[in-house]
Amino acid sequence: MCDTINNIINIVGKEVVRTVIGLVGVFIVVLGNAIMLTWTERKVAGHIQRRIGPKEVGPFGLLQSFADSVKLLGKELLTPANVEKPLYYLAPTLIFVPVLVTFVVIPFDGFLQVKDINTGILVILAFSSLTVLSILIGGWGSDNKYSLIGAVRSVAQNIAYEIPLLLSLLPIIFMANSFSLRDVVEAQKGLWFVVYQPIAFLIFFIASVAETNRTPFDLPEAESELVAGFHTEYSGMRFSLFFLAEYTNMFIVSAIAVTFFLGGYQGPILPGVVWFFMKTYLLVFVLLWFRWTFPRVRFDQLLNFSWKILIPVSFLNLLVTGGILKL
Amino acid sequence: MIFADIIFVIIILITLGGALMTVLSGSIIYALMGLVTTMFGVAGLYIYLNAPFLAMMQILIYVGAITVLIAFAIMLIGPLYKKPKEWSYPLKFILAAVVALFSFFVFAKVILKTQWIVLSTPFAISTKDIGRLLFDRLTFPFELISLLIVVAIIGAVMLSLYSRGEK
Repeated sequence: MCDTINNIINIVGKEVVRTVIGLVGVFIVVLGNAIMLTWTERKVAGHIQRRIGPKEVGPFGLLQSFADSVKLLGKELLTPANVEKPLYYLAPTLIFVPVLVTFVVIPFDGFLQVKDINTGILVILAFSSLTVLSILIGGWGSDNKYSLIGAVRSVAQNIAYEIPLLLSLLPIIFMANSFSLRDVVEAQKGLWFVVYQPIAFLIFFIASVAETNRTPFDLPEAESELVAGFHTEYSGMRFSLFFLAEYTNMFIVSAIAVTFFLGGYQGPILPGVVWFFMKTYLLVFVLLWFRWTFPRVRFDQLLNFSWKILIPVSFLNLLVTGGILKL
Repeated sequence: MIFADIIFVIIILITLGGALMTVLSGSIIYALMGLVTTMFGVAGLYIYLNAPFLAMMQILIYVGAITVLIAFAIMLIGPLYKKPKEWSYPLKFILAAVVALFSFFVFAKVILKTQWIVLSTPFAISTKDIGRLLFDRLTFPFELISLLIVVAIIGAVMLSLYSRGEK
């Protein structure tokens, strides 16, 4: 058995085997995360609103999300009559590209990383901008006014919030002197960067709530005014792909925040993976908490907040950091 | 070496296919998707040339910012996606072809005339080198570009101010 495995590894090469194993791991994390988070979101929402949440299927309702996903898988895939077919079909698939690419560079532990690329953070930032593109073509291709409004809003919002997101990560890159995520984590051996850069952390977190389209910045899908925004016309498994991508994006922004500001996989006693997931899910919980605490902002408030407050403050932060580092 | 050549051909096909889609598709949103494909192809070329930083910047700026801005502009000017093809008149098509061929020959001439220096060993340019170049040897052109952008911004602001009436 061992010999056969070794033979296979020798034939196709170590790098390929590593990549395949890494991608399988990524799929497991993506699916497990989504299944767990749907349950958590409903439980947290329930308790915040003094309800109990799901409790019928399995102990504490733990199997609820499995039941839901089986239901979604079994549903008929409806295609509305007037949709722009290629765009309509492409959107749910395209939204998964950035999700998978981003996972490749996140260091879950000192050794647990699919590939350490020396421009790691640029890979994440570059590919996460694809999300807005798929929202755009999904909303446009649906031939529905609500979808189109959702898509337009999402574009305006993403343009506005990508700038502070980038600018809040730059001081960290200054301090770590590297684009590689592992170097950034290693640079936080002593003190976490959140201690040096509290403003950058706040800006990053606010901007990432907007980038993942979560309440209070969920204008692209605002249920109470736009039905479901850009994915109004999607049903069954296509809808659940959007859903899966949203939950995975929540995990990714939290993981990036942990990597850049909260010391990544570093922590005493427990192994690194445990620390990484604990910190990440703490931030994910904060995102859920936001959703059930803050009301949705108005669109002009949303844009003004980014252009008039977040961007100037993050520029100032960048300037001060650069100045201090050069002294 | 064969493997590298195959990859190169695939990248070139993606780039050219996207470009053709941009020019020939009737619907403006498909043209945009073609543009995105071309940008990805160009980023692939940068990776092929061992410049990952440039490739990532290509995706970040051209796919993430510029095409998204173009998309935003398309959505502001209204539902053009049901409009017929713009170059349906033969005269327009011929004029466009003349301009395209002319610029193609100019570029081809320039490329063929340049004496390219072929390096014997592959080299990698780091982010640090790019920063050094921009802020040291190439500061003057860099600043000139920023001046150009400032002029463009002022022009855009002026245009938007005057189009809102109350001259």
